[in-house]
Order: sequence, then C-alpha cells, then structure tokens
Amino acid sequence: MNLRAIGCNVESAAVELREKLVFDEPKLRRALAELTARYGAEAVVLGTCNRVELYLARPEDGSPVHAPLVAEFLGEVHGVPADLIVLHLYELADAAAVRHVFRVAAGLDSVVVGEDQIAGQVKEAFDTARTCGATGPLLNALFPAALRVSKRVRTETGIARGQVSVASAAVRFVREVFDHFADKTVLVIGVGEMGQLTLVHLKELNPAGILVTNRSPERAATAAAEYGGQAVPWDQLDDALVRADIVLSTTGAPELIMPRRRFEEKVLSKRGRRKLVIFDLAMPRDFDPRIHDGDPVSLFNVDDLTAVRDQQLAERRRHVGPAEAIVETEVGKFVQDWNRRKDGPVIGQLTAEADRIREAVLGPLLEKLNGAQTAAERARLVEGGLRLLQNKLLHGPIAALRDAAGQAHHGSLRDALRKLFGLQG
Amino acid sequence: MTVSPLQGITHACFGLSYLLAFALELARLFWPRTGWRVAALGLGLAGVFAHTLYIYFHHPSPATPYGSLLLLAWVLALFYLYGTTVRYARQAWAVFVLPVVIGLVGLSLAFAATADAPPLDVPAWLTGEHFWGTVHGALILLASVGVSVGFLASVMYLVQARRVRNKVNPARVVPLLSLERLETMNRRAVNVAFPLLTAGLLVGSLLLKTEHGAPETWLSVKVLSTAGLWVVFLVLLYLRYATNVPGRRLAVLSIVAFGLLLVALAAAHPFVVGEAR
Repeated sequence: MNLRAIGCNVESAAVELREKLVFDEPKLRRALAELTARYGAEAVVLGTCNRVELYLARPEDGSPVHAPLVAEFLGEVHGVPADLIVLHLYELADAAAVRHVFRVAAGLDSVVVGEDQIAGQVKEAFDTARTCGATGPLLNALFPAALRVSKRVRTETGIARGQVSVASAAVRFVREVFDHFADKTVLVIGVGEMGQLTLVHLKELNPAGILVTNRSPERAATAAAEYGGQAVPWDQLDDALVRADIVLSTTGAPELIMPRRRFEEKVLSKRGRRKLVIFDLAMPRDFDPRIHDGDPVSLFNVDDLTAVRDQQLAERRRHVGPAEAIVETEVGKFVQDWNRRKDGPVIGQLTAEADRIREAVLGPLLEKLNGAQTAAERARLVEGGLRLLQNKLLHGPIAALRDAAGQAHHGSLRDALRKLFGLQG
Repeated sequence: MTVSPLQGITHACFGLSYLLAFALELARLFWPRTGWRVAALGLGLAGVFAHTLYIYFHHPSPATPYGSLLLLAWVLALFYLYGTTVRYARQAWAVFVLPVVIGLVGLSLAFAATADAPPLDVPAWLTGEHFWGTVHGALILLASVGVSVGFLASVMYLVQARRVRNKVNPARVVPLLSLERLETMNRRAVNVAFPLLTAGLLVGSLLLKTEHGAPETWLSVKVLSTAGLWVVFLVLLYLRYATNVPGRRLAVLSIVAFGLLLVALAAAHPFVVGEAR
C-alpha cells in the first residue's frame, strides 16, 4: 500500500488559512486532473468547513507524495505561500491514512462527534474524484469501505443518536407537545441570528403560517418576505400571541417584552386550552419565565436548549470507545484484504509455474511407466521422476541464493528461504 | 365427545405471556435490542391467542366481575397489539397498556370461583339470551373500553406533561406520544364512551325496573359506582367543553373514572346470585 492522507483541519490550522484553501467545483476538478497528471497518483480531495484533505495513492514501487509537495501544490492552486501551508499540514501513511479516513467518515474526527453530514461529504468527494477519473484500485476500494464503516459505527453504537444543536433541541421539544403542524402558526418576534437558524428547522415541520413582528415595521416586512410569512404590527403582539402555537422570540429588548400579568390577562385568557410553546432565545430574556407551566404554556430559553444539546454531546462521547474499536477492526480487515489482493498475481504466477514443472515431469514419466515390465523398474522410474520434480522446484531458489552470494540482500534472501520452507536455524 | 387440548388453557398461560412481554418491553427501554421487541411481540401475540381461546371455550359471563374484567382485559390486549405493531411502534406504548391488561387479568383471577363452587343463578336476559340484556352488556363493555383508553391516555399525558414542565431532554427518556395526541385520544375516548355508557345505563335501569324491581338493588355498589362513573363523565365533558381547565386536571378526572369503572366491574351484579363466576 502506498497511501497518504495529507491535509489540515480545525485543530491544525486556523480558519483564516482553511478558508483560503477552499476548493470550488471548477477548481476542484482542475486540481484532481493536475494531481493525477503531475504525480501519477489516484486522488480524492475532501473539503468541508472543518478540513481540507488530499488522499493520494501511488503504485507500490513509486515514491509516496509527501506533505511539502502537497503544500507546494495547494500554494499554486490557491495562491498561498507553500511555506505558510506546510506548517499546518499533517501527513498520515498507509494504515494510519486508512484509519483516518474511516474515523473522518464515521464522524469521530468531527467537532460535533458523530455528526452525520460528514459521511455525505466524504461520498460526494469520492464521487467527484471518480467522475473526474482521478481514482484507481486503492481509492475505489478505500472510500466505499469508509462509508460502510461509517454506517456500521452509526448503526451499532449510539454515537449519532439524538440531536446536537440548539435548533434541533427546540424542534424536539415542540414534538413533545404537538402531534401535527399543518394547523399550527409560528410567531417570530425579532430577527436574531439564532432565531433564524431555529426557524429554518421549524419551517421543516410545514406549519400553516408564519407571523413576523418587530418594533421596526420595515424589518418585520423584510423578514416576513424572507420567511414566507405575514408581517404583524408590533402593537398587535398580544393578538399575534393569541393566534400563535409556537413562538420564537429573539429581540434585543433590554427588558421583558411580555411580563407575566400582561401574558395572563391579554394572551392566556383568550387562548382557551390551546397549547403554546415559546422559545425565548433573546438575551436578556423577552418572556417572564414564570409563565412556564408545561401545560398549556411551555417556555424554553437558551440555557434550556443548550443544556439539552450538551447532554446529547456527552451521551455521544460515551460511544466513542466502541466506535473506535469498530474502526480499528475495519482498518485491520481493509489492510489485510488489500495485501491479499496485491499478492494475487504473484500467487497465480507461482501456481502456473508449478503446474508447468509438474506437467513437464509427469508426461514423460507416465510414458516410461507404460513400458515398464517389473515392479522394481516402476519404482525406479517413480523415484527418478520425483527427484527430477524436486530438482526443478528447488533450482530457482537455490540458484538465486548462489547468485546473491556477496551481495547486500544475500542474508535477507537466506532468511526468506528459511521462512518459506520452514527450515530450522 | 372429544375434548380439545386447547381447552386446557388457563389464566397462567396468557397472564404469564403478558407479564414476560411486559418485562421484555421494559428491559428494551434501558438496553435497546431489536430481538427483545420481536420476542416481546411474539409473547404478546401468544398471550392474546391463548386469551382468545380461553374466552371461546369458557364463555365468561360479562355479568360477573370475573367475566367482565377478563373480557375488558382481552379488548385492551388487542389494543396493545394494534398500538405496538401499527400505530405507536416507536413509543413506549406496551409499557403503559400491558400493566393494565395484566392487572385486569389478575383481578379477574381473584374473582374466579373455586372448582366446586355452586352453579350461578344468572338471569337469562343478563347472560345474553335476552336481547336487551345483551344490548346492556355490550354497551357497558364498549363504554368500559373507552374509559380504559381514556385512562391510558391520561396516565401518559400526566407523565409527558411532567416531563415538559421539568424540561427533560426528550432524547434521554422513554419516547411517548405528544401532549396534543394524548389529549385527542382522551377526548375521543370520553366522547365515545359517554353515550355508550348512558345508553347502557338506561337499558339497565329499564330492565331493573321491569324485570327485577327490588328497591335495594338500586343501592347496590355496582349501580351506585356506575352512576358515579356517569356523573364523573358528565363533569369531564362539562370541564372540557365549557371551561379552560388545564389538560392535567382532565387527565386526573379520567383516572378517577377508571377507578370507578373497576369498582363497578368488580362489584357483584344485583341480579347474579351465587359465586361470581
């Protein structure tokens, strides 16, 4: 195996460098063609927001591609000094490179351990390289194996279980309260960044409508247009809360926009028994925390959602050990299978040669045995035939050993023969 | 006349099947294994099969505590199978339904008469030989199913509401149906059970008056607890549709209704004389 994994990730390089090494689609295709042509290597380039990695495989008898060469190449492609890049590159060889791609695909090398996007990104990187004709026997075996390992790790351990973002934790809580969403209304108060991300997740539930309100009518109208919702004047906030089922609040107000008394008098009393889930993602908070009672009003703030996310991350980390064990087993299997595959042609040649020698001895021997009159004559012929077979089989190894006498590899050849024929001392 | 070996099925056959299925379902929540769900379902299925055969061969009378509890347990066992395999496979459905089924089977067993008990003197109309008796029994049994479903939904509702109130991470606890779904289930169960119960009580009252008019029968535990159940249902409907009482309180009332149902089913029928079998 002559494989290298060379690249940088969040741990080895700052975002300022990583963002300069990003490959867009045309640049990626050009780079793959160049890597194949320049180094005679199979190549896959994996680029995500957390890493840029090149997987390069060369023929067994070729010299491997090392990090400085890759730094030079990346420098040319992106217009960044190679000296700057090489300091942040790591290089993994053969089995270590196999282990690395397996860990990456399984999400074990991700910032959010067990995240599932990376498996798709690995697949995409491989598909692109394959369609560009940049892959060969080793990478064509390695990447599908990495995706299988990823699937196995996620299925057999709990590493990918649960949601690990604040937004997905919010959706999880919503699903504890509501069964269906086609008749539900989402109210967005303010247009904070975290609220936008959570709204993207909530929109996937396909609610009946989205209302947007803001102190600034212009901002409310812009946000409503962006989210596909309806703008509501700020002075109609109470009515909007009466209509809403799910509320997302992210204003920058310095004090509560919804004190308890106002909520109970202007909102709760008009809602009947309808349930309401409020996500108060503002800092300082927008809603009086005392309005939370779990039924019918549930109020979750940033800390509540972050706590859920952190619990899930901790839960995932418990499964890292078993996941690493699976990766290690699969690395062993892959390296063993690859070596076996590489030995195939040699074994074939050896068998064909032995067949040729056997036929060369057996044919004449059978002819002579037909003409033999006595048992003693037949025994003499068989012994002669077997001796000839023995001489022919041993001729090659013995001649090679004699020819190597005095040369540097003589000793290792002698040891190899001892090992091959099971000789003592 | 030949006797089928299936006639040898006893309470233990299906009771233990349900118990083992419950144990496996419970274990599965803590140590998830696909095989355990399959084994639990197999045991549950075997339990329902044995339960069905038992009812087929022994014809337990719905007029007796023993029979009515056993029949109700059977309907709920079907409900458990339907929920676990079709509707709520991902939720901890069995963990809530099976204990009720097991409890009802156990309670019916407690009412089972000894082998040498004297034969019952059950009026013909109550055992189903009389049309109105059959109607009365069927209506009460169906209403009982509704009350039981309402009870199950309410227990799950209270658990789920408590979790949401305490902001428990949903990923770290047993999956349950949403509050909205459980409330709908409870509402439908009550809406269906109330007219059935009302009709069943009316038919029963008419029969009581025309065919068994002893005044003391009106004050029997069965009649009083059933009337109490009906009143609780009336209050439930009023609170649900005429007030803004939180879902939690409605759930508690539904649980009280189930308690009254158990008393009503367990109480001796005023018309049945002899051992309660």
